[in-house]
Amino acid sequence: MIRIEGLRHRILDIPDLVIGAGRTAVIGPNGSGKTTLLELCAGMETPESGAVTLHGRPRSALSIGWVSEFPDRTMLFSRVYDEIAAPLRFCRLPCPKVDARVRQAAEALGIRHLLSMPLRDLSGGEKALVAFAAAVIRTPDILVLDEVDSHLDEEALRQVLGMIRDAGIPLTLICTQNMDAASEADSVLYVVSGTVRHQGSPEDVFPLLSGTCFYPPLWRLTRCR
Amino acid sequence: MQVALRDAEIRRGAFVLRCDAAIGEGVHLVSGPVGSGKSTLALLLASILAPDSGSVDRHGVSSCLLSLQFPEYHVTCSTAAEEVLSWGLKPDPVLGRAGLAGRGQADPLTLSRGELKRLNLACVFSCSPDLLLLDEPFSSLDCAAKVRVCRAIEARKGGITIVFSHERAVLPRVGTLWEMEGGRLSRVGDVPDAIPRWRFAPQYLRHALERGARPANIALTDAREALCRIRD
Repeated sequence: MIRIEGLRHRILDIPDLVIGAGRTAVIGPNGSGKTTLLELCAGMETPESGAVTLHGRPRSALSIGWVSEFPDRTMLFSRVYDEIAAPLRFCRLPCPKVDARVRQAAEALGIRHLLSMPLRDLSGGEKALVAFAAAVIRTPDILVLDEVDSHLDEEALRQVLGMIRDAGIPLTLICTQNMDAASEADSVLYVVSGTVRHQGSPEDVFPLLSGTCFYPPLWRLTRCR
Repeated sequence: MQVALRDAEIRRGAFVLRCDAAIGEGVHLVSGPVGSGKSTLALLLASILAPDSGSVDRHGVSSCLLSLQFPEYHVTCSTAAEEVLSWGLKPDPVLGRAGLAGRGQADPLTLSRGELKRLNLACVFSCSPDLLLLDEPFSSLDCAAKVRVCRAIEARKGGITIVFSHERAVLPRVGTLWEMEGGRLSRVGDVPDAIPRWRFAPQYLRHALERGARPANIALTDAREALCRIRD
């Protein structure tokens, strides 16, 4: 669980917010503060005022997976294999176990053929998949994905969501501009101008957005004017 | 006006891009899985990459512009206003068009990715190249900004516009559909006849097709109108 109290930080002004277990979609216009909120929830920023508590524990006691909206910015190594293996190597898992986990993750995401390639030779979508694999491979306590899906085709997105479900990660935050995907999350946060305008299940939140383009396209198709 | 690819090949290790196609005036949409070669094809059409064999010939094309998938790769200046100036454009109107009025002194790399994409596209649509290549123009944009990009694409007068995209919700009306898979480019055909054969159609379009609707084009409103027509 993530608890936010009395938060004022850059554009954000959030008096009180609790994000529960499961998959939460963070949606809203460009520049509304979604990435800033995600950075706070990943423990990458300290709030200017107020508090952000992650699972009621200190940040140093948690493992957190993070994929930036700029996938290039999270890359540390030059080879795909090393990038995905790094989080396991950093916690000193034995090499054979690291190898097995890396290959298993790559298989599940359909990127096994990329393992020996230099990261600079990958396409945008492939980079996003590698960044995701590295973020998820340690089964983090919190997983934060900032618009990773904007680089992915439908099949790749399905594999990513399947992997989040199967990995048993307790809390995932996904910022997305894909409202059909957001409508399948456990809960939705609609952020506008630094404030959380709506929060709740997709069934609670999206009807409030029916007059906007944030209403899921598939929902819009199921009824005529 | 036409771009003709004749057995144009690019080989990179095990990956081979192979294209044989004639792309004429109008709006074209190229879809396909991650890593299938869409961005490589965009670089080839922009003459940033030369084919290892075969040829890429442009007939009647006097100017070409490529908008890269990652807008941060376009950044060459330290403020948003200088960035616009580097395109040979006046900052204020373009920044206004990008929804970034008053933010001219911002460092482009401190903008959100969506804002940076809007800045790049506002510069792109202030130019009118004969051949416009848009690699993932919708990525990171919110739905309102996506709609504006669709209108800008549809408003282009003449020329060849090629959109490479995974977008699943907000698509422009297009003339021709193409698919890229395993490095092979294939022409699905002209809209609307080709729509039922389009394997990478977004979910809303498949939903409409499965119910027997025959949308006039690929936008959400087309799918909705076609569905409503058969329900009436």
